[in-house]
Amino acid sequence: MPKILIANRGEIAIRIMQACKELGLDYIAVYTKEDEASLHVRRAIEERGKESVFRISSYLDPNEFLEVADYTKCDAIHPGYGFLTENYRFARRLAIRKRPLIFIGPRWEVLREFGSKINTKCIAKRLGIPVVPGSDKPIYNEIEAENIALELFHRQWEEGIKRPAILVKASMGSGGMGIEEVTHPIELRRVYRRLRQYVKRQFGDEDVLLERKFPVFNHIEVQLVCSQHGEAVHFGTRNCTIQSVFRQKRIEVAPAFNHNYKYQFDPEEVTKRAIQYSLKMADYVGYDSVGTWEWIVTPEGQLYLLEVNPRIQVESGVSGSITKIRHLPVGVDLVKEQIRIALGEKLGYKQKHISFHGASIEFRLVAEDTKCGFKPWGGTITKFQLPKYDWLKVYTHVPSDRPYSIPSDYDPNLALAIVWGRDIEEAKERGEKFLNEIKIEGKNQEASIVTNIEFLKERLKKIQMFE
Amino acid sequence: MLELEKKIEHLRKDLDYITDIKGEIFGERLTEIRNWLSEIAKKIYELPRERAETALNDIEAQIEFFEQEAEKYLEPLDYVRIARHPYRMTLKDILENVYDDYTELGGEEKCNIDPAMVVARATISRRVGSRVYTHQVMVIGHEKGHGEEFRNGGSAKPWGNEKALRFMRVAETEGIPIHTYIFTPGAYPIEDPPGAAQQIARNLYAMARLKVPIIAVISEGGSGGAEAIGLADLRLMFSHGYYSVISPEGAAAIEGKIKEGQDLPPELVKSCAEQLKITASENLKLGTIDRIIQEPPLGAKGDDFEFFNQLKHEMIKATDEVVLKVRGLSVLRGYYVKKKTGEKNNAVYVRWELDEKEISKLLKQRAEKYENMGRGFFADRRSFLKKRVDEVCYGWLKIKSLLYFGIFKRPYRWVKRFVDDLRGEFLIITDRVLRPFTNLKGAIEKKFKRPTVQLAYEVPPKEDTYLGEIYVSPLANEDRTISCPNALRYGCYDIWVPDLYGELNGVCPNCGHHFPLEYQWYMNHLFDKHSIKEFNTEIASINPLGYQGFDEKLKEAVRKTKRHSALITFDARVRGISLVVVMLYSDFRNGTVGAAEGEKFILACKRAKVLRRPLLAYVHGTAGIRIHEGTIGVVQMPKCTVAVREYIEAGGLYIVVYDNNSYAGPVASFLGCAPYQFAIRSSRVGFAGPRVIRETTGEDVPPDYHSAENALKRGHIQGIWDRRDFRKNLYMALITMGGKNLYYR
Repeated sequence: MPKILIANRGEIAIRIMQACKELGLDYIAVYTKEDEASLHVRRAIEERGKESVFRISSYLDPNEFLEVADYTKCDAIHPGYGFLTENYRFARRLAIRKRPLIFIGPRWEVLREFGSKINTKCIAKRLGIPVVPGSDKPIYNEIEAENIALELFHRQWEEGIKRPAILVKASMGSGGMGIEEVTHPIELRRVYRRLRQYVKRQFGDEDVLLERKFPVFNHIEVQLVCSQHGEAVHFGTRNCTIQSVFRQKRIEVAPAFNHNYKYQFDPEEVTKRAIQYSLKMADYVGYDSVGTWEWIVTPEGQLYLLEVNPRIQVESGVSGSITKIRHLPVGVDLVKEQIRIALGEKLGYKQKHISFHGASIEFRLVAEDTKCGFKPWGGTITKFQLPKYDWLKVYTHVPSDRPYSIPSDYDPNLALAIVWGRDIEEAKERGEKFLNEIKIEGKNQEASIVTNIEFLKERLKKIQMFE
Repeated sequence: MLELEKKIEHLRKDLDYITDIKGEIFGERLTEIRNWLSEIAKKIYELPRERAETALNDIEAQIEFFEQEAEKYLEPLDYVRIARHPYRMTLKDILENVYDDYTELGGEEKCNIDPAMVVARATISRRVGSRVYTHQVMVIGHEKGHGEEFRNGGSAKPWGNEKALRFMRVAETEGIPIHTYIFTPGAYPIEDPPGAAQQIARNLYAMARLKVPIIAVISEGGSGGAEAIGLADLRLMFSHGYYSVISPEGAAAIEGKIKEGQDLPPELVKSCAEQLKITASENLKLGTIDRIIQEPPLGAKGDDFEFFNQLKHEMIKATDEVVLKVRGLSVLRGYYVKKKTGEKNNAVYVRWELDEKEISKLLKQRAEKYENMGRGFFADRRSFLKKRVDEVCYGWLKIKSLLYFGIFKRPYRWVKRFVDDLRGEFLIITDRVLRPFTNLKGAIEKKFKRPTVQLAYEVPPKEDTYLGEIYVSPLANEDRTISCPNALRYGCYDIWVPDLYGELNGVCPNCGHHFPLEYQWYMNHLFDKHSIKEFNTEIASINPLGYQGFDEKLKEAVRKTKRHSALITFDARVRGISLVVVMLYSDFRNGTVGAAEGEKFILACKRAKVLRRPLLAYVHGTAGIRIHEGTIGVVQMPKCTVAVREYIEAGGLYIVVYDNNSYAGPVASFLGCAPYQFAIRSSRVGFAGPRVIRETTGEDVPPDYHSAENALKRGHIQGIWDRRDFRKNLYMALITMGGKNLYYR
């Protein structure tokens, strides 16, 4: 029985444990000092006993994971998302060390290809896939950067956009880090220089790219599942337009577009194109895991590739919950699929066996002040009760039976809730019902708890729309 | 009676001196005389005067006999003892007795910026017939002060050397010759600004083209400290002095791998002193000095007035000689000075002021003198045919460069300069005429104009040699992790070795600490692919002093590195710009510099000068001058510095980049004198290692004393480069820095 080291925390750790349990695999969990009270630790102790849970000093140190893995004779490491997930050096180290371990995720070569946004863009261009207008090569000096920026601004003026803007992005950045907006060419040099410095410090690579910013757009994603045997299927699309100011997703909806709305374009055709392009690119790089292709759709129906996330995503559950394989009940666990693929199994189904039923919305419950620049809130939660329905799936690491203080080292995510409905309207109704029934109390020295529930409720009305 | 007492005192001193220097060969006899002397001293008022006098004369004769006897048995280590003895003459004695009168500049005694370095404006006079001629000279030298504590034993601090340089410049302005007297065991190894190494390098650089005759006299010449004022047109040496690359004790500690605090075995010190060839006669044989000034037996003490008289004539003669060599009308006098040696009354008069033409001749001769110094102490392993071919090739290069730069490019430049000026003048007029129209055009057009010509900028080709695609350090073939030394401070995680030495280029991704990499890495990553062409690889290090056991060590180094010296010289390109590179690497005898390395260095300088290419000195690591080559190693310091100065003055670009550990001689001369010096992060640059500092100054230094950051703080280097940006920075340096005579300008 293969043993898996779960090198992550919180909600994703719980999801991996669940998947392992269902697949009948053994696992080892880790936690840091701040996470002692987290539910993922409690669950691991309950299921596997104290000797299967190890305390480490940081989720970012590969050496500690490897020590634990070697000590417990693990066969594979699941990095979850964030932390070491997209670190191709870590994946490579696992593959070529003396005692190799399975990295549950794509091959390290693929990770490296997609680690750099510039490189991703290059591959897309080679395949004739549209990318966001902007630079697609490393920029060598400021004059060059300024020329590209002027070009981008000029095009937007020509289109008659009143407040044109461009984005300066770090090639290695992810999760909303290393992106800055420029609204006037005069600002460019300053921002460019600052971002380069920041990026060099943060990621050790100073490549930066310039891209046009769209004032109104929808952010859609294509969920792909590819195996090591060359099979590739898609699990539909989802819409992740509702984000925080730091470009972290807050509400995800599957499928991407609502057929009841009137769009300026044909949503069927656009999603089909996005899926086609994604599969083409996955085939080209030889993708061999679960991954997401992110696209930007303008109100006119223009499609641009944004980036590729070679990992399991937070929002993978939302795609899974509307999917049905053959005659099995609706709902596929993509974490389970990922582990299966990484261990070398075949998919066992084809695209024609996959069908989609209903609609699903995912909420990320976060302790943050949405009115005050999404400032994270820290303190102790004294009461945390979530409703229970058969159409609702909740993943949380916050215990409901005792007070829990939010660790300040990590994002203050509280829970992940997936609401399913027969159609999008029902899902919205149920989502509102769920949001209304959350009972949460907590305080710190200054004030009582602030969460993004109101923000979610407000934005829920506007999902899948262009505005 | 007073006279007799004085005499007794004098004799007692002489006796002490002999005992200190060579007491062991006389055994009991010295004690007997001492007893006899003290008996007489006790009874001096009782004895009849004549008897006392005769007894004292007897004792004096005895002592004289002993002195002459001891002189015959002097061994190298005894010369060290003589030079260090408190009774030995000092610069003050020389100033009092050789020069007519003098004014100390920069303070006297303790009240001085550095009491170990004395600078004086002095006059020296000679009598020709019935006339007396007086010359002004600048006297610079170390002062041991007969063992006075505050003189530091003649170890000049950096600011002492700076003072010396300042007054050398004064002498240059005033056009008077400089006499330097070297009485130093070595420079004081502290790095306080301006820094020991840096200041010595500056001194050497300035002295390489100082426009006045310089005469140096060596009594105790300790390596770098001696060279700080030792780059002279004529180098004299006292017969009982020593001139060495390192003190025999220091050499013994290195040779015997003696740990700190342990006692040095006396036999080892003695054998080191013998093998280092430190005496005057041996140095004369090696060609590191020009002449010996004979001293009385067992060396001159503070009261050997006859010797000082002789020294005065020697100094005048030496200065005459230097001046007459460059003077047009000097046939007879030149002959006279050369032939009539040893005459007390010199009947020659030579004016010591030089005119422009003579100065340029003087500088040329000085450069030639140092270029030829230390020649013949390395092996040239080329075949006879190859040598001829190389000579012809070099000649052809010279002609080609002359044709291209001298005949073709110079007139082109004149024309271009003229056209540029003309265009500048013309623009004023056209601008006046066209201004209204352009203003109008600008007003009509929109605020932001679309760039009409797209991609007007040139996109450089993608780097194909970077990121370790081709060469991966062999250090990377190990499955283990390594801890960053800054882990406690910055919380760096342990780094996996294949990642560290492969993709991360040996740099900690968190704090930027640089782990050392082998020199091959730089050769493969710094320069364009296949652009490296080595030259002079056949110049090989040998064992010129016949140092015991060094031949084996040399063979071992050759076997290990497959090279013949610690310096690699090659042509290379950085993004298309050709340059000449000299690379000191630490695998071969710790990157020490000897005759072969010095020769290769000046050949590279010359090549860069002829081809008008930039010269990069990359120091992968150096431990200093090779002690096994003795003073031949030391003279590489002035030799290479002169070559560097010539190259820089010819309008080149000389960049020095330090890496890992760079210490001592090379840093204090041809590396430290560069206008553009950079260090790779986490490297160490300095004059002497922590151990030497502790032993000389008795003080502990903090661990980061020699770090690149501190070198930057005290102004030694001009910047710290990241290894990952080395190529980029180097390219930027090549196109932005340097003189006007580079081939691509």
